[in-house]
Amino acid sequence: MTVADPPLLEARRLRKSYRQGKVVVEALSGVDLAIGAREFVVIAGISGSGKSTLLHLLGGLDQPDQGEVLFAGTDLAARTESERTELRRRQIGFVFQAFNLVPVLSAYENVEYGLWLGGVAKDERRQRVVAALEAVGLAERMSHRPDHLSGGERQRVALARALVQEPRVILADEPTASLDSRTSGEMLHLLLELNATRGATFVFATHDSALVAHAPRVVHLVDGRIVDDLARR
Amino acid sequence: MLASIALRNLARNRRRTLLSLLIVGMGAASMLLVIGFVRQSFVGLGEAIIEGGVGHFEIAPVLGDDDDDGEGAIAGGGAPPSLVDWQEIRSAVENRPHVRAAGATIQFAGVVTNGDRSAAFLGVAVETEREPLMGMKVRVRRGSNLAATPPAEGDDRALLGVGLARALAAEPGDVVTLLVATADGSLNALDVTVDGVFTTGFEEMDNRILKTHLMTAQRALSTDAVTSLVVRLDDTAFTAAAVSDLEDVRHQSSQPLDVRDWKARAPFYGQVRALYTGIFVFLGIVVAALVALSSANTLLMSVLERIRELGTLLAIGTSRSQLARLLLFEALWLAALGVVAGSAVGIALVVIINQLGIEMPPPPAAVDPIELSLMVIPTDLAWIAAFMTLILVLAAVAPMWKVFRVRIVEALGHV
Repeated sequence: MTVADPPLLEARRLRKSYRQGKVVVEALSGVDLAIGAREFVVIAGISGSGKSTLLHLLGGLDQPDQGEVLFAGTDLAARTESERTELRRRQIGFVFQAFNLVPVLSAYENVEYGLWLGGVAKDERRQRVVAALEAVGLAERMSHRPDHLSGGERQRVALARALVQEPRVILADEPTASLDSRTSGEMLHLLLELNATRGATFVFATHDSALVAHAPRVVHLVDGRIVDDLARR
Repeated sequence: MLASIALRNLARNRRRTLLSLLIVGMGAASMLLVIGFVRQSFVGLGEAIIEGGVGHFEIAPVLGDDDDDGEGAIAGGGAPPSLVDWQEIRSAVENRPHVRAAGATIQFAGVVTNGDRSAAFLGVAVETEREPLMGMKVRVRRGSNLAATPPAEGDDRALLGVGLARALAAEPGDVVTLLVATADGSLNALDVTVDGVFTTGFEEMDNRILKTHLMTAQRALSTDAVTSLVVRLDDTAFTAAAVSDLEDVRHQSSQPLDVRDWKARAPFYGQVRALYTGIFVFLGIVVAALVALSSANTLLMSVLERIRELGTLLAIGTSRSQLARLLLFEALWLAALGVVAGSAVGIALVVIINQLGIEMPPPPAAVDPIELSLMVIPTDLAWIAAFMTLILVLAAVAPMWKVFRVRIVEALGHV
């Protein structure tokens, strides 16, 4: 991101707290963060540091108690729920730690689902789904249901589901946490490659130090605050 | 695509889905059987009333206030007035479409005695020669029916209702005397031979009814008039149309005419219908409650078990209304599959029951047991399908409400 480029995603003085019984837990305590287009950013921190909360707010899945999240310069809170739904459908891709695939759908159908939601024609859907599955190396497994796929394959399907929409941002919450070290290394390699070839912005949260070591930019969160924002060139 | 996903979702927990389908199917089948029974009861009872002598409708002079004093009456004691130009009316009516035949009747009242015992009777005199043409059926319990040919003077005949015969201790072949008041107020007596003992099917009527030939009644009442024309159609379905088609006959008549269909003449039918309808509505409520509770449980459990999946679908751009539609499709699948299976079972049971010839106790106040027979028509299936669909849609309201209220982040964190 250069000085002239406005950030694609921007968090301003974000605060978010949760109530657990009678205890109020402050997940984010005034987070400021700007992420440019085509950046690859890892949000690092131990469990409970606020990584997932920050991703949820950046992706419009939740509303901050204070502060604002700007997507392409527009405050997400100013959008209606249906506008935020539309934004998530077309411009933001999500990858979850537990893959979160629909178990009754095949790999192909899981990837196709978002395009169907967006009203994409069947022929175009087929082209884009096959291309997305090829991009993650799963073209041969597209007819399999999630329970017939390995963990790494499921996460690739989840990644293809996010990629197929050609979103401007892909938000991944602990995408390698459910994978073994070899598979998680492959996944990181794939994410970096897709970031380079597709031009989408990648933001993913992890507490895996091995992955953090390979990220171009790492934002460290501790107790809901950014304590370090390190960019490697 | 939502419909396909919904169907596959139902297959996830097959045991629970099968249980719900079983309940929906049993509900549909039981409703089909009850509707079939009620419909057959209504049709059977209606046809029995019509064939028993009531006919599809009756044409009679309007009974006005002036007739309270007996003026124009065929007999004394407040008897109904006579139908003046009944032969012209009959000719006009019998030329109408779907009219099978019309028969003149006299309704009168009096006392019947055999010397030892006496009883009040309600007399119905008919043209026996026209009864076969009109398709009227008489359920004779002892003796024989009245002869089709009019009786010669001095050889008058009558049928007694079962209860009336019992009250008189009369049997076929006995001679009884009818005591009636004529139109001019004098008392007349006529000896008649009891040809047979019959039933109308209704106990109260059997206690009073006496049936005889038109000419016998005219001799007893010293008149050549009749009180009404009973009309039989070739199909009960045309009753309303045939009644409304009589406007010109009414206008051309020299006296105001009253046309009453068989339902108006047999209020008992309405009472039985109301009773059976009440039973059917109660059963429908029970079935609806069972199906709704079971299906709501299935759908709600289905939602709660995959709350994280629903959160994921919301996160990747599914709208809440689309998710609600997904649940609605699941409910509609349950309804469709349950109704198809239940209807198939129900129709099979209808066929089997109709072949078994099971005898049922007589309806309230009726005399004869009835054969359990079920009548199902295609519109019944359509109504049951619509009813079940409505119930399933209502059952889906709670799960859909849950979907509209769920917070995405909480759903994603659901274990």
